[in-house]
Amino acid sequence: MSDPAALSLAAAVQALRARHVRSRELVDACLARIARWQPRINAFISLEQQPADQGVPLAHKDMFYRKGRVSNCGSKIRRGWIAQETSTALSRLDAAGMPQIGTLNMAEFAYGPTGHNEHWGDCRNPWNPDYIAGGSSSGSGAAVAARLVFGALGSDTGGSVRIPAAACGVTGLKTTWGRVSRHGAMPLSHSLDSIGPLARSAQDCALILAAIAGFDSQDPLSSREPAGDYVLAKRKFRVALSSDWIERHAEPEVAAVVLAAARDLDATLIEVEPPQFDTLSAHCITVMQAEASAQHARWMRERPGDYSSAVRSRLESGFAVPAAAYLEALRLRAAWLERFCSTTLANADLYLLPAMNVRVPTLEQTGPRGGAGMPALLAEVTRLTRWVNYLGVPALVVPCGFDSLGLPIGLQLVGRPFAEAELLAAGHAFQCETDWHCRAPAERWI
Amino acid sequence: MTAAKQWSGEAIEAVLAAQGIRLAPGRAEKIANALNAATVSAPLSLEFESDPTGYALALERCKAK
Repeated sequence: MSDPAALSLAAAVQALRARHVRSRELVDACLARIARWQPRINAFISLEQQPADQGVPLAHKDMFYRKGRVSNCGSKIRRGWIAQETSTALSRLDAAGMPQIGTLNMAEFAYGPTGHNEHWGDCRNPWNPDYIAGGSSSGSGAAVAARLVFGALGSDTGGSVRIPAAACGVTGLKTTWGRVSRHGAMPLSHSLDSIGPLARSAQDCALILAAIAGFDSQDPLSSREPAGDYVLAKRKFRVALSSDWIERHAEPEVAAVVLAAARDLDATLIEVEPPQFDTLSAHCITVMQAEASAQHARWMRERPGDYSSAVRSRLESGFAVPAAAYLEALRLRAAWLERFCSTTLANADLYLLPAMNVRVPTLEQTGPRGGAGMPALLAEVTRLTRWVNYLGVPALVVPCGFDSLGLPIGLQLVGRPFAEAELLAAGHAFQCETDWHCRAPAERWI
Repeated sequence: MTAAKQWSGEAIEAVLAAQGIRLAPGRAEKIANALNAATVSAPLSLEFESDPTGYALALERCKAK
């Protein structure tokens, strides 16, 4: 076998079962690639000294706790903090034969959409290191894209699985709120946080989700909705979209690629009025800011200088959110969810839109030296993801093309609550007809 | 939504100080401006009896049949 790291997770599982490859070979192949890529993209924070050699190796955002191991959460404040318990998601992956070989870079406390990190170094896009990897699960997107691991966990509070998946050209699933236990995962905003996989294909995401989904008594918000086995049943989906809105509001290259990809779906396309993205995003921001600031209140009082200025600014804003505004946003949530399902999805199974309204921006454009246009650009990066967290519904991002500079473009499908199986089946069907997910960044720079 | 009132830098500074949060010079004005700009109108009206816990039931109702 030429490079076992080039296999998909599904193919690696199959090759292991058939004894065409040994787990040790998979681990060694990943470690060899990590050694070559890490100086260029800074995706990893730590590597296991003695990685388990039974199963297919994964690595995860540095915010999933493992008893006795360090979880830095992308921060200075938690640098060197040792977890006292293991997260349910990691325990379930261990049991399913997907051991962890390391921890991955992330935005500080998962509170940023780009992958900048002044404490641990910026994570960079493997397609071009001048560009953002997306955040907050930056290392998860970059490591999977560069074929350093077969899959990774991320968390998504406003787009933190989907933005890096789109920016790095991999498949990412934001799960329904409550679908995956958050026990032992660093909290940011309990009403919005969800955990999901980033992997090379919808099929690979389905394997990871099947291992981690399902009720967990240790997470009080965990859903009792039965978890499926996420078999990728082939069927013709009805997919709603708002072509006019995409053409008017997305960057032209993004609009052209996403609308062309929509036509490649084996689906009945239905034009609908778009959801009120900006209103729903504003509600999401209200909830996220209030909850994140409450979560960080003690450190913000005692150690404000240990946050980066960007994260400290976001947290300061949350202390100014009126309690009535926060509660009103939560009261409205059920009504908005019902409106989305009864209007946008009235005659459709899924809703299609770009993952990001803009092409992947550079680290400089979106960093401290980004200038006057930086806040507006960041708002465009998250404009089409936050509304999904407010509704709490699942969404899948799949790569669907490249811009003129060679950076990936992602297509987003949004479903009803607990429609992960439908999303993954639609994504798999798309990936059976296209090869965008098979493309990997070149190593010609080595 | 709420907050027809416009926030001032002084008001923000006082609100945060009451919570033990100190701000760098100029930050309060920036937060006030952002908060004022973020006020959204809500086209949905709510029943008086609705509360945030209704969301869990809505998730159940909105599942694919």
